[in-house]
Amino acid sequence: MQDRLVGFIQVLRSHQLRISPAETLDAMGVATTLGYADRDMLRDGLGLVLAKTNRDKAIYRQCFDHYFSHDFDSSPPEQAEDAEEESPNADSLPLDSPGLQPEGNAEPQEAQPSPLDEALAESPALAELANSALLQALRDNDRNTLALAVARAAESVSLSNIRAFTQRGQYTRRMLDALGEEVIRRGVIELEQQDSPALAELQGYRDMLRERVRDTVEREYLLQAQGRNAQRMDEILARTRLNNIELHYQQRVYELVRKMARKLAARYARKRRVYKRGQLDMGRTLRRGIPHDGVMFNTYWRRVNKSRPQVLALCDVSGSVAAYAKFLLIFLYSLADVLPRMRSFAFSSHLGEITDLFRQHPVEKAVEIANWRYGGSTDYGASLEDFSRLALDDVGSNTTVIILGDARNNHGDPRLDLMQQLYQRAKQVIWLNPESRRAWGTGDSEMIRYQSTCHFSAQCNNLEQLERFIDQLLRNTR
Amino acid sequence: MHTQNYPQLESVERIEAGFEAFGYICSREIATAVFLAFQLRKPILVEGPPGVGKTELAKTTALMLEAPLIRLQCYEGLDESKALYEWKYGKQLLYTQVLKEKLGDLLHGATGLAESVERLHQFGDIFYSEDFLEPRPLLQAMRQEKGAILLIDEVDKSDYEFESLLLEILSDYQVSIPEIGTVKAQVSPMVFLTSNNTRDISDALKRRCLHLYIPFPSVELEERIVRSRVPDAGDQLRHQLVEFVHSLRELDLKKAPAVSETIDWARSLLLLHADQLEENLVRDTLNVLLKFQEDIQTAQPELQKLLSDRG
Repeated sequence: MQDRLVGFIQVLRSHQLRISPAETLDAMGVATTLGYADRDMLRDGLGLVLAKTNRDKAIYRQCFDHYFSHDFDSSPPEQAEDAEEESPNADSLPLDSPGLQPEGNAEPQEAQPSPLDEALAESPALAELANSALLQALRDNDRNTLALAVARAAESVSLSNIRAFTQRGQYTRRMLDALGEEVIRRGVIELEQQDSPALAELQGYRDMLRERVRDTVEREYLLQAQGRNAQRMDEILARTRLNNIELHYQQRVYELVRKMARKLAARYARKRRVYKRGQLDMGRTLRRGIPHDGVMFNTYWRRVNKSRPQVLALCDVSGSVAAYAKFLLIFLYSLADVLPRMRSFAFSSHLGEITDLFRQHPVEKAVEIANWRYGGSTDYGASLEDFSRLALDDVGSNTTVIILGDARNNHGDPRLDLMQQLYQRAKQVIWLNPESRRAWGTGDSEMIRYQSTCHFSAQCNNLEQLERFIDQLLRNTR
Repeated sequence: MHTQNYPQLESVERIEAGFEAFGYICSREIATAVFLAFQLRKPILVEGPPGVGKTELAKTTALMLEAPLIRLQCYEGLDESKALYEWKYGKQLLYTQVLKEKLGDLLHGATGLAESVERLHQFGDIFYSEDFLEPRPLLQAMRQEKGAILLIDEVDKSDYEFESLLLEILSDYQVSIPEIGTVKAQVSPMVFLTSNNTRDISDALKRRCLHLYIPFPSVELEERIVRSRVPDAGDQLRHQLVEFVHSLRELDLKKAPAVSETIDWARSLLLLHADQLEENLVRDTLNVLLKFQEDIQTAQPELQKLLSDRG
């Protein structure tokens, strides 16, 4: 059972739960203390050490139910007299998967010989079938034997290696072969040729077995592959150009962005309160020493409370760049914990502040509204003018200005003088351009000229680059 | 705590029954957590929405085991001098004065500075010794001879630095004091930490704890809670009011009514001699359940529907 537990923890890890070796040991301790008799209690107990956030608990429950679905049997096994098939593995609990039983099979067979009995007795071609332990188990509805046989077959074809959705058929076939289903298959063909009344019954058993095996394979696939595939999918998505990501995957990308943001937030949240120890505050030290007869027990320092950084994000929301703006904003707002003084502006032909939208609506919704409100053809000159009017006064030595846009100004006035002003006042001006560096300055792109008024400019068109950039931003702003 | 034998903590069922005797009705999961915490000598980190009985769990455990409850309320800026220990500066100062007067006697006959210093060294470090140590809650809990229940309330309100301070205590039940050395608990206390999830607790801290999430209770459980706390309320009223509170929690509210508020409301309804819920009555007493004007405004128009649905 301990192996099962380790296997379970592997599965949880593949579903993105972070479980340390120490917690694995704790889980062992829990299992030993509680025992395996009470499934619900074990589930609660392991949940206490293995899943440590609310989100993880939901995943944990699901995995537990999948993984241990057939290890615990609430009803006692109906027939367990088959001595030679008794579990050789003392650890394994009665296995069962209820609900697969076609109606009417549980009726006592001895009372009335069924057509299948007769067919088996009559036809010498079916002798092999008549002796098949598998068929006997199916007919007796011996869940224990069946489940054990299925588990052994799964082991012999190493079902736990299943990785892809498309492998399911192949594994089902191999499992059936390992179980010795061939005999039944041949029996069905034989009965078909004889046009025997027993055909339907035998087919019923065959289908029952197949369904059972398919089920096992499916469950194993869900456990083993889903988590890993999701991981691979995330890796691919992180490297895809953001405006190529199909609508279908967007939800997933949002989730991914949040995950990245959580990671970064956790890394930088620690340093939120940075004090600089300044000069000795002689007056205060003396004053506080008076009750101690002038002995200066405690010293007081002039503390410089480093003020929190301010980030202003200006996002081009015209058609060509909108998709990138969306992800940048979602990313930045998911970092609200570490970037509390965040203001955002959207522009294309003119510019407006959209900070309030984010206060009123969830992030995705707010981005949509901004898109709808400020979308259009781009005019960087006019937008910069709007920005100077709105917020230039607030730009100071603590301010980081992030501009996201392709710098394609439709041959208008780029207003470099305003950018120049911004450059001088702000701590940093950062330009993110979704176009590749090679395209900068071609056609109506003003990027080369704007670049000269930025502290830093970068190409940014997929999540990986975005994450790297924001990591750097957080490092520099505090 | 863990070395002692507590029949009350023998099994999950006994814990459940024991809590019930003290008016704390809990789910199986909570009892399992307490059982495991005792058996595995691990602290419990309790999370959940406000008012579901996180603090109460520690209090009830203390009552049940007849052990002292030591409580440390966390807040921003809490540091080791308020949580762990502090030197008794006043006393130290007084001793310096005394020492000043005695200094002459002590050094009598010593010639030269070197000899005087030599002689002073023989006295050891009296200022930084146990006598001058002012224990704060965490150290107090370590020093309880018969063990204690240590409740570290609302850890999420404290700073990250404070969390690291807790790590040593939570994993080894010991405290390092630079001037003295390590103080190890004779009998390790049973530790409960609570958090309202206003920020994420660090992984290091979580790793050392059992993590228990207490959600709002199910209807049946909450009815049992109300029955135990407000036994005078009639069956019909109790059922109605719990159903009503549950439907309120499904609305989009700034702060959903907690279990403690359900209990308060049941008490107020009882004072008003209500034996079933009526719309006017609910409207008038809604402020017991909902503490924000916005929430009351959200709920008001829905009242009739909520009451007729669940009635």
